Amino acid sequence: MSEKSYPKKSSAPMTIGMIIVGAALMYGGMYMSSNVTLGFQESLNEQGILLDLGKTIAVIGVFLILFKVLDLFFFNPLHVAIDTRTDDLERTFGEAESLRAEMTQMKSEYEKRLADTEADARAQIQAQIKEAQDLKKSLMADAQRQADDYKQTAIAEIDAEKKKVMTELRVEVTKLSLQATEKILGANVDSDRNRKLIDEFLTSVEAKN
Amino acid sequence: MQDLVLNAQWFLAEATTHAAEAGGEHGGGHGGHATLSFMGLMIYTFAIAGLIMILMAFAKKGLKDRVFKGRLLQYFEQLHGFVENLCVGIIGGHGRKYMPMIYTLWLMIFVSNLVALAFPSSPTADLSFNLGIALLAIGYVQWEGMKANGVFGHWKHFAGPKLPIALIPITLMIFVIELISEVMKNVSLSLRLFGNIDGGHQAATAMNELGKESNLFLVKYLPFGAFLMPIKMLTCVVQALIFCLLFCVYLSLVTHHDHDDHADHAHGEEGGANAHPATT
Repeated sequence: MSEKSYPKKSSAPMTIGMIIVGAALMYGGMYMSSNVTLGFQESLNEQGILLDLGKTIAVIGVFLILFKVLDLFFFNPLHVAIDTRTDDLERTFGEAESLRAEMTQMKSEYEKRLADTEADARAQIQAQIKEAQDLKKSLMADAQRQADDYKQTAIAEIDAEKKKVMTELRVEVTKLSLQATEKILGANVDSDRNRKLIDEFLTSVEAKN
Repeated sequence: MQDLVLNAQWFLAEATTHAAEAGGEHGGGHGGHATLSFMGLMIYTFAIAGLIMILMAFAKKGLKDRVFKGRLLQYFEQLHGFVENLCVGIIGGHGRKYMPMIYTLWLMIFVSNLVALAFPSSPTADLSFNLGIALLAIGYVQWEGMKANGVFGHWKHFAGPKLPIALIPITLMIFVIELISEVMKNVSLSLRLFGNIDGGHQAATAMNELGKESNLFLVKYLPFGAFLMPIKMLTCVVQALIFCLLFCVYLSLVTHHDHDDHADHAHGEEGGANAHPATT
């Protein structure tokens, strides 16, 4: 941007022309300084104001040369160097900025992927938990069913054992009752009939219980 | 050592100066008012330009580095930034194209002012030198004005705002006053610089005469003029700045393209610009 308004290198004829004009002015100034004195200069000198127009003209010539020489020798190279450095810095900053944008994008992508992964993991864990809970329910149901089966079997066995024991008990009680009755009565009672009576008695007792 | 320096200064002064014819009348009791001869001025000017170019040559070595490491080059870069700010701040974006000229003027005036601190004379202590750079600056301002506004447009600007035909005498008066004002810019630029630098010299010379009559060795040889050194150093910077600043202001006045706003604004600032340095 600054290069547009900074003066470009003058063409060689222009530079040479200015140097020639400058040298001519210097020579003219030197001549004027030693040979020409204008009227107002004398009056100024009388007043203590020392003015030599020859020197003035020569100084103009010197500066015409100096402007070109210093510009070519130093100012232009310095300006170009500063501009080049500024461009380099701007380019570097631009690259850094694009890298930063890229990094930001990568970071956001990474964060998104991380979030997706976390969501996947959470979903998988939830699924595993659910599966485990289902399995647990299933196993619990199986166990319950099996326990129920065992229980039923046990109840049936108990009932069977109970009936068996009751039957044995009844037989035993009948026997004991008969023996007791025989001892009490001292007589031989018809066993079949007595047993029938005892059975009826015991059945009535069981029914009451 | 002090004698050696004094002898060297005397030799330099004798070789490059000649006493003014009016020196006896106006110089008072401190050695008369001397000015540089033509060759003396050229020697000083080329020596200063040579010194600047030597410094530039040293500084140039670091130009190809990506970072300017040389202290000298860093100073030149700082100065480049300063001149750029001066040009862009006052003239505008297009002010950069005047940078080489203003940079050159700044360096030459500033180094000449510094030379005036240590040497018996200096280019900027010579009215002819100052008038030369002032004529160059004001002439360039006119050239740029004519390039920007056209020859007629530029000179018409001196006639002030457009007035009815009955007020043509007023317009003519304004034109003449503006022309005189334009010529006086040369005088003000050159006399201000000359007055400050040569005046500082004269004041230091006069102060150095203090105590010459004393019998005390310390007082007799005490350079009282050296006490002026801080303010003279400040003057070196300020005068170089004022010259370049005013040059920028004058360029700004003639190269602004918004003519309608410019007419009033320019006249207002011109007065202000001239008034400000006068107080310095």
